[in-house]
Amino acid sequence: MNLDIIIPKCLPFQSIAFYSITMPPRLNILSLARSIPYRPAPQPQWLPRPSIAPKAPQFRAYSDSKAPQPPAADRSSRIDAKPLPHVSEEAAQMAEITGSEGPDISQGTPVDEVVKGDKSAQEKLPKVMQDALKSNSNSAPKGSRSYSTMVTSAGGSGGPDMGMLNFPPSSSTPAIPGLKFDAPTLPLPKDGHLKHRYDPVVDQVIGLLMRHGKKSTAQRDMALVLEHLRTSPIPTVNPAKPLLPGAPPPSHLPLNPILYLTLAIDSVGPLFRIRSQKGAAGGGVALQIPVPLGRRQRRRIAIQWILKAASNRAQTGSGKGSYAQRVAAELIAVVEGRSGVWEKRNAIHKLGVSVRANIVLPKKR
Amino acid sequence: MMNSSTCLRSFSKLSLDRTAHASLTSRTLFAPQTACFSTSTGYRAQVTSKAKKPVAPRRGEKTLNVKKGKKAPNYDMGKRPNPGERKAQRKRIVLSNNNALAVASLQDLSPKNVLDPSIEGKVMGFPEEIVDALRAEEAFKPSQGWGLFRRPAALVRKETAQLATLIKAVEDAKAEKQPRTIRRLVTGDLMSGKSTLLLQGLAMAHLRGWFVINLPNAQEIAFARTDYAPLAGSDPLQYTQDTYTADLLRQILKGNRAFLEETRMVTKPDLPFPLPANSTLKVLVEQGMVNSEFSWAVFTTLWQELSQPGRPPIMFALDAIAHVMRNSDYLSAEVKPIHGFDLTLIRQFVDHLSGQKTLANGGIILGGTSQSNKPATPALDHFIKVAEALQSDPDNVPKWNPYLGVDQRVVDALQGLEDPKQKDFDVLRLGGVSKPEAKAMMEYYAHSGMLRHTVDDRLVAEKWSLAGMGNVGELERASVRLRL
Repeated sequence: MNLDIIIPKCLPFQSIAFYSITMPPRLNILSLARSIPYRPAPQPQWLPRPSIAPKAPQFRAYSDSKAPQPPAADRSSRIDAKPLPHVSEEAAQMAEITGSEGPDISQGTPVDEVVKGDKSAQEKLPKVMQDALKSNSNSAPKGSRSYSTMVTSAGGSGGPDMGMLNFPPSSSTPAIPGLKFDAPTLPLPKDGHLKHRYDPVVDQVIGLLMRHGKKSTAQRDMALVLEHLRTSPIPTVNPAKPLLPGAPPPSHLPLNPILYLTLAIDSVGPLFRIRSQKGAAGGGVALQIPVPLGRRQRRRIAIQWILKAASNRAQTGSGKGSYAQRVAAELIAVVEGRSGVWEKRNAIHKLGVSVRANIVLPKKR
Repeated sequence: MMNSSTCLRSFSKLSLDRTAHASLTSRTLFAPQTACFSTSTGYRAQVTSKAKKPVAPRRGEKTLNVKKGKKAPNYDMGKRPNPGERKAQRKRIVLSNNNALAVASLQDLSPKNVLDPSIEGKVMGFPEEIVDALRAEEAFKPSQGWGLFRRPAALVRKETAQLATLIKAVEDAKAEKQPRTIRRLVTGDLMSGKSTLLLQGLAMAHLRGWFVINLPNAQEIAFARTDYAPLAGSDPLQYTQDTYTADLLRQILKGNRAFLEETRMVTKPDLPFPLPANSTLKVLVEQGMVNSEFSWAVFTTLWQELSQPGRPPIMFALDAIAHVMRNSDYLSAEVKPIHGFDLTLIRQFVDHLSGQKTLANGGIILGGTSQSNKPATPALDHFIKVAEALQSDPDNVPKWNPYLGVDQRVVDALQGLEDPKQKDFDVLRLGGVSKPEAKAMMEYYAHSGMLRHTVDDRLVAEKWSLAGMGNVGELERASVRLRL
């Protein structure tokens, strides 16, 4: 049986993880030798929407205020049966009669001012206004949070800004009726989803760095690792331990530490694991079968190897950044081909080649 | 018949038993009480030969393991770092990242442009000689992000520009022969850039040819790790820290070498060591550096020299000031704690900060506070709050909480903060940077290659909000530190 590992030569870096262990393909004229990235031409945005414009509903929602209707007594034609107008309106009428300047009715009645100093009138006010009057007397309302617990004020000494000053309100109404906000532009941003907003490799390393559920500590360690990578000198790649094909030149790595990390991990990730099938070889001997791994699984194994090797390194400093510093040193060693992790990978691959005959594939019909 | 041990014990107690010698009772009543068993003779005995103790196996050495099933503990067999190596690594200050791109558009601070209001809102680089001086003065802190960029540079923010106007005011007052001593306490939230503002103040003072003295961390002065001795003839008793002061003189010499080399002494001080007549100040400082027992005398002499007419203004800075606004960790001869103000260096600073003494040629006294490492100092906190309230909301000045313990010496020293008429003593509160300032910073990050993103208003607004409305440290953390 012939087992080939097909590694595409000039794939972009992101798609390298798609190699697989396959049987030699039967010659197929219709299929292409290389996968061709195919992207459909961009189509104008189309959203399903009703063709008929929505009519105003015939019923009143609970949240709507009641339709303005005059009180029943107002319909009377007798002047003396009509209810008294509002305080301000009455004052305005009086002013009109006497020819003096009355209150502006369009402004509403300043009830606070009217009852100011009038104890008996204040007692007859509604409860809400009485409370408001009381709370005015001492400035800070009870149970309100002091501004000191909020985020800093931008001016240093000014009031709370909260970033809302000079905030441009969304002036343009969306072009598509029925939408409250503008439709997002496609393609959606990579970090658009809340749960996948970080780089997948960084997220996975953080998960494996984490001990005792202390994720924030792991995140800090990750940040320190990346900082070491970006401040370390440019690595010299060992041609005997080749990195992934299509990898950027080493001079680009320190300025892009996440790429540096991804490259180190993906380069030493094993392509398969060896599964031991108990008793399958007969005589109580386990049968070793290579099983291909997915991208995430390969990365997981590589990260575990690297972290193990890092914890076996001699500690040089002290304090919080010590482990992160060793992990970073191990990652650099991986890229430079000095790390013992390469031996682990080669051992697995060698074993895989020797036991590849154990793979039983379903018969072709 | 008693057995031998009981017999020995009763014999050894015989001397203490007063009933045994009735005639001596009256005298032995006054005899000192002695223990019936003593180990001192055993200790005093000459050791004739070395005791043959079984030597414990060295770490990592293989030994016969008799406990079956139990593995020997897995020791780390690596060589331990030498004493001091770990701390040196922890405190290492890296000011350059060779991978970072050099920013072509980065301008340097210079004596001409440093007081110019037009540089406000720009990121400005520090010239090389200033970097050396600041490094010698330990103005750079390990936790700051200098090591990410090609060379040190900092944003000239609104508060930096305010500090520049203060420097200008001092220089103008000196030109008019009315020297002014301006005192400021730099306050603000955690990671709001207080120490960096101090550093910028020192840099500006260096560029303007001032004499700069920096005490980088008050904790190092107060936490009793250096030697101390009572100062003869001081009342109330003060304490000098000779090794620390000698080290400070070394830093002063590195930071102000040009001035000290060219200036000659004009006073005739009474020093405990011979000094050639008309020698330069450098010779004086070097004497204090080498002979640490004279370091305080040298420091006071240097201060007198700086107070002579024609000498430059002084920038005197102290960071993490809360550590000395209380009792230090030193103990007096009566095993009472020594107050921070009784340490001579601190006394020198606090006397000028409180306004009790003024600088003869003018200058700025700059105190920095720390939010991450600060002991409880209710008096200092109160006065800072009062001074901030006087600036922002004069109608609601906080009152002293009578249930807190008050340190009267601190209250006396900081009294001036409560007085709105004292314009020369105030706090300089650091808030968040504005969005244009944040944009300038983030563009610098992007030009350095540390931020891989197009810097547009949207990104700036996002990071600015994530950073708690422009807190500088959080802004750096959110944009370049890759901290999730």
